[in-house]
Amino acid sequence: MKAQALETADIEVFSEAVTHFFETTCGEKAQVRTAFLLDARAPLPWGDFNGIVEASGGYSGRICFSAPRSLLSHLLLRMGQADFSDEQHLDIVGEIANIFSGRARRHFGDRLCISPPRTFAGSAGAAALAASATHSPPFAIPLCWNGYEASLVVQLDALV
Amino acid sequence: MTPSLMIVDDSMVIRNRIARLCQDARLPALDIVGTASNGLGALSLARLHRPSLITMDLTMPLMDGEECIERIAGELPEARILVVSALSDKMTALRAIRKGAHGFIRKPFNDDQLVDALLELMN
Repeated sequence: MKAQALETADIEVFSEAVTHFFETTCGEKAQVRTAFLLDARAPLPWGDFNGIVEASGGYSGRICFSAPRSLLSHLLLRMGQADFSDEQHLDIVGEIANIFSGRARRHFGDRLCISPPRTFAGSAGAAALAASATHSPPFAIPLCWNGYEASLVVQLDALV
Repeated sequence: MTPSLMIVDDSMVIRNRIARLCQDARLPALDIVGTASNGLGALSLARLHRPSLITMDLTMPLMDGEECIERIAGELPEARILVVSALSDKMTALRAIRKGAHGFIRKPFNDDQLVDALLELMN
């Protein structure tokens, strides 16, 4: 089986998932910036909390949402939560990674199998992506919502 | 008799949000009899409380939602199950319905979408 990197149309699906999430959940659009490939010259400033979903089935790789505490706290507040513990922040960052990945199945179909999210505080997401050097380089989709910066990082290969 | 509801989702934030929305004035009073973070826990709780309504996530550890729906539908055919999932492809929705779910709502959802889906489930 051969691994095939994503194309531009595939990447746009993730940008649309970001826009759709903030619009539906908060009634506000997030600004989604141009996606770029992550490498040693363009490292990602990892956020305080990271949610990672592993892909399997007809795809291999992972989808990671990385965000600062401030963005997630604001989001929890908008979702009617009153608990702002680390546990809640890890929960919501994982759930967002899950929602972005699930939304991508509109485009990729059910050959894209996704795991329940794993969550990390700090820069553990970087280690998870660096450990998978057999995949195509990950790309990042930077976004800004209410002045907070965050990123969706996708490292996904189609198995053909 | 007050309808009983069980909420199944691996996200605590989502479980809390659904529980809060169940107090919406448009809905009749609902008795939340249990919450579970995976399909296995949901199956045990369903056997114990026999809820009339269930909101069910699909992507969960230990036992996923599809298997849980199939087993609950087999044991408690009177329970009405609303899938609340991020999986947005049509095949997933069709499979869940075939296995015994009565409705499907995609995450992310807004307040009105969830309340409307619960109302439809009860009617």
